[in-house]
Amino acid sequence: MEKQNYAIRSYCSIRDRSIRVNGNNFFDADPSAPLGDFLKSAYRKLGVDYPKFHKMDGLCKAIFIAAELITRESGPYEQHMALLFANRSSSYLSDNRHANDVFMPGNPVASPSTFVYTLPNIAMGEISIRHQLQSENVFFIFDSYLPEFLVPYANATLDSQRFERSALCGWTEVTEETCDLLLYRIGASGHLTHSIAQLKRLYNKEDE
Amino acid sequence: MRGEVYIVGDEVISPLGIGSESNFQRLLEGGTAIAPVTDSRLFDRTIHAARIDETQANDLVRETTRYTRLERLFILALQRLIDKHDIPLGKDTLVVLSTTKGNIGLLANPASTFPQQRANLNTMAEVIRRHFGFENPFIPISNACISGSLAMSVARRLLRYDSRYKRAIVVGGDELSKFIVSGFDAFQALADGPCRPFDRDRKGLNLGEAFAAVYLSKTPVRGAVKLMGAGSFNDANHISGPSRTGEGLYLSIREAMREAGDITPDFISAHGTATLYNDEMEAIAFQRCSLSAVPLHSLKGYFGHTLGASGLIETVMAIHSLKNNELIPSLGFAHQGTSHALNIITQPTKRPLNTFLKTASGFGGCNIATIIQKM
Amino acid sequence: MSELTQELKAKIIVQLNLEDLTIADLDDHTPLFGDGLGLDSIDALELIVMLDKSYGIKLSDPKEGRKVFETIQTMADFIEANRT
Repeated sequence: MEKQNYAIRSYCSIRDRSIRVNGNNFFDADPSAPLGDFLKSAYRKLGVDYPKFHKMDGLCKAIFIAAELITRESGPYEQHMALLFANRSSSYLSDNRHANDVFMPGNPVASPSTFVYTLPNIAMGEISIRHQLQSENVFFIFDSYLPEFLVPYANATLDSQRFERSALCGWTEVTEETCDLLLYRIGASGHLTHSIAQLKRLYNKEDE
Repeated sequence: MRGEVYIVGDEVISPLGIGSESNFQRLLEGGTAIAPVTDSRLFDRTIHAARIDETQANDLVRETTRYTRLERLFILALQRLIDKHDIPLGKDTLVVLSTTKGNIGLLANPASTFPQQRANLNTMAEVIRRHFGFENPFIPISNACISGSLAMSVARRLLRYDSRYKRAIVVGGDELSKFIVSGFDAFQALADGPCRPFDRDRKGLNLGEAFAAVYLSKTPVRGAVKLMGAGSFNDANHISGPSRTGEGLYLSIREAMREAGDITPDFISAHGTATLYNDEMEAIAFQRCSLSAVPLHSLKGYFGHTLGASGLIETVMAIHSLKNNELIPSLGFAHQGTSHALNIITQPTKRPLNTFLKTASGFGGCNIATIIQKM
Repeated sequence: MSELTQELKAKIIVQLNLEDLTIADLDDHTPLFGDGLGLDSIDALELIVMLDKSYGIKLSDPKEGRKVFETIQTMADFIEANRT
């Protein structure tokens, strides 16, 4: 593999009930706060007027918030910035809700607004609409955050881009009560090297 | 100059049968897999759908009780491909697996005999990997209805840019379930009869199930086809409705064609789900790319919408079309139904064919276009 | 404001996740789609499910739906005329 020279421009982590941008604290809530409340409070702190936020499921809300914070920190997103996300549970939050709806004894009723979120890439659609990103989206499912795969794949993606060399990548694992999210924007320049070692450091909170 | 990537093998399992060649023959005969399905485990009403009769497949897979129905069918497709081409399972072989929902039929289902954990896509992939003993963990992709084509383009990129891999298997599949059927019904997306892609009277899609695999290599063999170009762009318009201007698909087709050297394809295998909006959007995108006159079909009238398998099974059939120099008609079409006319294939047609364009679009606003050419 | 329009407003706010709105914010005659409340196609499908689940009315024709869901008032009128 050729040596790659991409960098991390900005990153956001949402761990349990704590949100950090580039290693600095943005918002903290009580660890016992329900996920929905936590994300809603974070949204309010963002001060953004985007009513569609409330229709999203937990996975989409968390990704929305992180994407918002990263662009605030590092400038507008390029229109063709690739989105390369991964998680373990896919769209479990909405899958579970929809599955329980349809197997409800007595009166099973499917909700279209729940069903639409039963695909993990919908979150990419949501931020594409918000930031007007017309770009490639790939959602991978791994057992755990795998920079060993994502780093070379992201590098290959940027190498193959004809337009701006940029991508938003990361691990977005959101379940009923846990949030384990690390999103990072990569491009030709930035303060941190886009490397497996660097991302392991960020993921393991060695920047705090 | 990155290396080329070739498709050197393929396999298909569908309600029309086991094996790519037999599926292709059935298409030429006009055989459809879509039929009325009445099964309270699936839905409280009869739906038109394409369902695999797995009793055909059961005898061909060893140790069936350890695997879910979906896993068995994935295993069968992979088994046949591996055996046919003697594919090594070591660390220079990549496997990319495409599915929208995997074992979702297990979730919250009181009749399930497997643990809920099996509904996790990675768990499922690992079960299949272990069956064969592949050295590398699979790379599962879940990206709505473009997953199949997308998985192929992901594999292609890795083969071109990552020297660790010499070859790749791309396999895709999804099965019918109450989860999926009830969801599409809540979307009012299901037609109450056989679907009619691009037709004036189309009223929605039929769901289907299928499993398909392709074998990619950096080394060509006789009879292989080449993956010439790929492009994928989101519409950035709406999470479940396609862009009214076909923006994302237009950009995807243009990029794929540019990468392929701007050759006009000999035919198009469209996504053509037979919903009002998808088919109209595709017609607009094709017109914007000056492709309205290119012979076109949707294969969803034969297989239904096979979700995670659709990009792959339809690509495989198009490859056989190329090799046999025979165009497959678009089943279910009678009258122009899109604001821009398309050149819909209505009869099996023998003519020299070298290149095709395959398109796919999905929930979340994603789109993908791929161009494949005979060597 | 009738009891039914009150009830509809409460149901809609919950069903469509209109978090930032209260019943008082919703006018009986504001267009629900397009320029008024700006609901979208998924919201329309949710309203169809709501009509069925809460009022026993099955709407099969999407064109009919557009007229029924024009405003809270048109919805209330339709429900009064057709509920089971």
